[in-house]
Amino acid sequence: MQLLSVVQAVVLMGAVFAAAPAVYAQIAPQRLALCAACHGADGNSRLKGIPSLAAQPKLFLENQLVLIREGMRDIPVMKGSLDGVSDAEITALAKYYAEKTLAPVPTDKDAEVFARGGKLAEGMRCGICHLPTYLGREQIPRLAGQREDYLLHSMQQFKNNKAVGRDSNMTASVYGVSDQDLNDISYYLARLMR
Amino acid sequence: MKNYLRTISGLGLALAFSMSAQAQTAAPAAAPAPPPAWKQGMPESMAKSTLAPLPGKLVATKAADVPIDKIKLPPGFKVEVWADGIPGGRAIAEGENGKYYVGTRALGRIYEVTDNGKERTSRIVVDKLNQPTAAYKDGALYVVAIDKVLRFDGIAKNPNATPVDLTAKFNFPPLPHHNWKYVAFGPDGKFYVPFGAPCNICELPTAEYSQIRRYNADGSGMEVLATGVRNSVGFDWHPVTKELWFSNHGRDWMGDDTPNDTMHRLKLKANYGFPHCHEGKIPDPDVKKANACAGVEPPAALMGPHAATMGVKFYTGDMFPAEYKNVLFNARKGSWNRTQRIGFDVVTVRTDANGNNAKVEPFMTGFMNPADQSWWGRPAYLHQMKDGSLLVSDEQNGVIYRVTYKK
Repeated sequence: MQLLSVVQAVVLMGAVFAAAPAVYAQIAPQRLALCAACHGADGNSRLKGIPSLAAQPKLFLENQLVLIREGMRDIPVMKGSLDGVSDAEITALAKYYAEKTLAPVPTDKDAEVFARGGKLAEGMRCGICHLPTYLGREQIPRLAGQREDYLLHSMQQFKNNKAVGRDSNMTASVYGVSDQDLNDISYYLARLMR
Repeated sequence: MKNYLRTISGLGLALAFSMSAQAQTAAPAAAPAPPPAWKQGMPESMAKSTLAPLPGKLVATKAADVPIDKIKLPPGFKVEVWADGIPGGRAIAEGENGKYYVGTRALGRIYEVTDNGKERTSRIVVDKLNQPTAAYKDGALYVVAIDKVLRFDGIAKNPNATPVDLTAKFNFPPLPHHNWKYVAFGPDGKFYVPFGAPCNICELPTAEYSQIRRYNADGSGMEVLATGVRNSVGFDWHPVTKELWFSNHGRDWMGDDTPNDTMHRLKLKANYGFPHCHEGKIPDPDVKKANACAGVEPPAALMGPHAATMGVKFYTGDMFPAEYKNVLFNARKGSWNRTQRIGFDVVTVRTDANGNNAKVEPFMTGFMNPADQSWWGRPAYLHQMKDGSLLVSDEQNGVIYRVTYKK
């Protein structure tokens, strides 16, 4: 997993301080800088394996932040980073990133893989919960435009029963799906712009 | 053709289904991959549905932010927010000296709520558990998660008691879906616990799911009391007959009105139908078997399709009017797999002296507005206090209500 250098992080921190609007007064400035170091100051991740937070449903972000703070969802690189963060600050953080704009999706597109992934996602009924647009809603994450490597990683976690703390409906939903299929679904979803 | 349990991706667990595998690339294993559980039992006619589980909330709600004036009760009954700040609070077990233990689901915590008669304070006893619930017996708090059983001896006197780990003795099956557990000690002193089916509808991966069992308090002497129980998340013993009555969730994706959630009386070793038969009379359209309903124990009451029938409590107190004595109360958390919402309430179930001719009536309502389908609360669990008042947990808001009666 890649991490920004301290120098880069400090530069970002300055940018974030300047950009944080007053309505997010509940968010400690150093917190946004810490989030930005991996997830991007605008919530768009540029790092391998790190999800974008921009334009995710607010409740989804709020739920995940609580689960990570509680250690229920175990993300080693984030361990301790949310210790003692209040519910009110978590709600404000969720709102902050939910209102960000997702960056344009990758332009490279293998039409065949894209079509296959789309068909698989439809057949597996992903759109029932995540909506046919794959924009997600409330506690259910947006899939359209998320990083491909993270989508694949996340589905593999569910498949390997490593998604403790998350919805058990989803926990059971990718059992038995091949890695190739998960790969193609990720390829498709990552390139969906809505 | 029936599929049998296979190992997928070295997990040592898998859901085996009687449906044939769908148009997916087969896993490297010899057998084709089963369809994912989520899709299992979803007909083509439902492919465009956007019904999904309702969103929970994991941050605290203050009592002042609960729209309690919307709650409706029969004349003479009152409701107050008794405890707040317990996100996802569901299970309630009463300890000693005004202490109550509240299990939260996704948040993974057990709270100890202390009632001094005027106000409540709380602390966290244990956290980071997988959907923990609680029971209390002989001075010991039992904390039961999907994959763990802990006993805190003498917790009333020693708040920092180190737990005894009984996990290995109870030996629960591993799959998490539908395996939050409603637990209680029976009149026989034994520990009762159901194990839900780890899917919407499927042939069971192993026989240890969709059961109700009892154990000795130390985890020994396990007995299977009932099979074919899809997902029971509430039970209590009838105060006169001592019979166990339990709630059971019906399957999803069979339409708005089929099948009903159900209330059952426990007949020792009886089969309650899952996965082949629902309500004792409806053969399953996906997991088929000849004479699917033969020998299946019928329900004592129909609790509404998809209503999410949860906590069960027979009222034995003296506070409520006499007509409520020995009446079954049931919390219905509310539907998601239905185009018109149902549940989001507490109902009473009255029967004749033989437990027949059940009549289900609303008791505590107002959490959902049928006119615009909006909802704000989800009653989940019931507990009768020593003074005869009724505690009701609202899992959505992480608060516990206290219902009282005064002439």
